[in-house]
Amino acid sequence: MFRKTVVAFGFIVAAAPTAKAHDEQVLANAPAGDPYVKVSDVLPLPEFIPGLGTLFVDPTTLPAGPFLAYDRDGRLSATVYMTPLDDLQNGASFDGLNIGSHTVSSTDIYFNAGHPGVDKPHAHVVLFHDENAKERLAE
Amino acid sequence: MICTRRHAVWLGGLAVASVASSRIALAQPIATVEMRGSPRGERIWYDPVGLAVSSGTTVRFTNRDPGNSHTATAYHPANYDRRRRIPAAADPWDSDFLLPDEYFEVTLITPGVYDYYCLPHEMAAMVGRIVVGTPSDVGWEGSSHDKSDVSEDTLTALPLVERILSEVTVRRED
Repeated sequence: MFRKTVVAFGFIVAAAPTAKAHDEQVLANAPAGDPYVKVSDVLPLPEFIPGLGTLFVDPTTLPAGPFLAYDRDGRLSATVYMTPLDDLQNGASFDGLNIGSHTVSSTDIYFNAGHPGVDKPHAHVVLFHDENAKERLAE
Repeated sequence: MICTRRHAVWLGGLAVASVASSRIALAQPIATVEMRGSPRGERIWYDPVGLAVSSGTTVRFTNRDPGNSHTATAYHPANYDRRRRIPAAADPWDSDFLLPDEYFEVTLITPGVYDYYCLPHEMAAMVGRIVVGTPSDVGWEGSSHDKSDVSEDTLTALPLVERILSEVTVRRED
């Protein structure tokens, strides 16, 4: 029998300049600095998730995010929000959320059944920051 | 009695971690259950969701979902204080989180019905059932009738024992 790994957000503080929510220059390339952490460093998820790329998030903003999605070259490609459906149904709202880049070329919204970090069934709201972003995040 | 072991397989089959010791004999049969998901994670499931095996079979759970992690966790008080849905004489198991292409093995000895779930995906009814042996086996314990600890969706997702025994492998229906 194996020791159970309790997964919790370990706040890994990188020695990087503080990244303000709208500081596009700081967030343009991975790694996003404090307070963002790489999701795969603190949760049992792949480092690169097909369709979402490499995600960084400020743990205090969970579950909604924003999650900053970087391609394999470390370029910010999308900002992702994850909103639990039952929270919305029960009256929660997620207002004034930050965004990784003010340039948005398209948006995808789709259902996700859950994953470590956001266990509840939720919606993914994905703001792509350039026309080729979706392709770069695909795999 | 249950024997377990966990492996991480990365980069085309390079085994880089074997966590627990095992007394599994090489001649023992192996059955496979895969954790799967749709590309965007709208749906996740065990494949097969129902499986009949003989006593002593090693069941290998492998994560084939490239964008998510999964567990195979027996319903048992030892696992997050859940109500028991495996035979009383069997030990519980918990694979812990398996990243893509990692796998976990458990050898099931005690005859009866074993229900298990995916820790982050139980709310999405990612559950499975394994039937070991047949009701005529000594020590057989059938499926739990306790409904206090699982949702209606979960119960609905578990194939009937009779169907599993009849078909051996029950896959998810789209």
